[in-house]
Amino acid sequence: MKNINVKLILIILFTSFYSMTSFANNNLGEWKPQIVEKMYILPPKHLNKVLNNDFNRSLLALNLQNTDNNIKNKIEKISKLNSLLSGTSKDENLEVKHQIIVNKRDYIKDMNNLLIMKKQKLNTKKIFFQRIKKNMQRKTINSEKSSEFLNNKNLAIKRAQKLDFKILENTSYNLSKKSKYFEQYQVNKDAVKKLKLAIQNHPMSNKSTLSKDPKNKMDAINNYILNIQSEIAVLEMKEEMINYMAKIVALDAMGLAEKVAFSSENENGVISSNFNDPINVISVFTN
Amino acid sequence: MSKFIKTLTLILSLTVCSYANANSIETLERERAKILNLVLDKSISIGERKKRIEQTQMRLLDLERITINSKNINKNPSYQTIKAFENFDLTFLVHSSLENNKSLSVMWFEKLGLTTENLMNTRVSRK
Repeated sequence: MKNINVKLILIILFTSFYSMTSFANNNLGEWKPQIVEKMYILPPKHLNKVLNNDFNRSLLALNLQNTDNNIKNKIEKISKLNSLLSGTSKDENLEVKHQIIVNKRDYIKDMNNLLIMKKQKLNTKKIFFQRIKKNMQRKTINSEKSSEFLNNKNLAIKRAQKLDFKILENTSYNLSKKSKYFEQYQVNKDAVKKLKLAIQNHPMSNKSTLSKDPKNKMDAINNYILNIQSEIAVLEMKEEMINYMAKIVALDAMGLAEKVAFSSENENGVISSNFNDPINVISVFTN
Repeated sequence: MSKFIKTLTLILSLTVCSYANANSIETLERERAKILNLVLDKSISIGERKKRIEQTQMRLLDLERITINSKNINKNPSYQTIKAFENFDLTFLVHSSLENNKSLSVMWFEKLGLTTENLMNTRVSRK
């Protein structure tokens, strides 16, 4: 009975390998970056950090962490069971081997899930950076179109800024009733000036030269996309590795199933004979 | 009846949209027109004109500042906006008059080419 159970489990084991991918695709959680558009102006390095922080808060990150822990536990269990193999009776040995195969199967399942989740994370990241790249390209086209207007506007801003002090000194403006905007304008302008100076003197501002030049920023984003693509390619190779591991476990399981079948036949005293050979069935006809 | 309601809805929505689209450059243009109207108004005395221009000038200065610093107009600027920034001296009259230390009306006349010298020349050429 026990042996039959083992066989049945082994059969389930084989079938589970075939349906592994379909299992893995379900309920792995998802990650939708919740980054506001204003964050897009951040230097790529900081943007990547913000993106990683956002990922850490997602359900996918939680599932990834859990699966990672499961994998560690499975590996520990397999190595413990391997150490138990020597110095056990025949039946116990079969049971331990069976347990090893079951744990290996679970390890492969979890590992496959882990790879899928990692791939999902990288793909989301890739899509995010591609969107930023598109936005930047669109902005560049738009800015090229309206560059003449923007030049005129910047000149107007500079001319107006130069006159701010003159307006304050002008008696006619000082004597007339000032509007709320007029009063707030100077206060806010001074505050903005101070903040701009603080940004200029900030040590991190000098480091993030990438954010200042849009061309450099584009290069950095392209590099990120390239790195993500190479990471996805590595994961695909690992998936292939997992497929081979699954094949080995399946072969091990088949071997164990045969061993169990062989030992049970021996225990019942049944000698296997080949009835396909007429020599072996002569007695059936003569007696 | 339903046709009437549809037309009414369309008119109302267009009216609402036109109000929503009113940007700083249009408001500036309206205020600028008012001040130029005062400059050209012959029915008021010189003293009154000066007083009323000074009163309006403050509002025009605010509007000029708002328009110059507005970031909304950077996106898809209209033809009117583009032209307004191309002609800084004619659009931003208060700023231009301060920059050149001239009164607003003199500045505007000069930029249009209506200087005393030019007008005198016209008289000479007539003769």
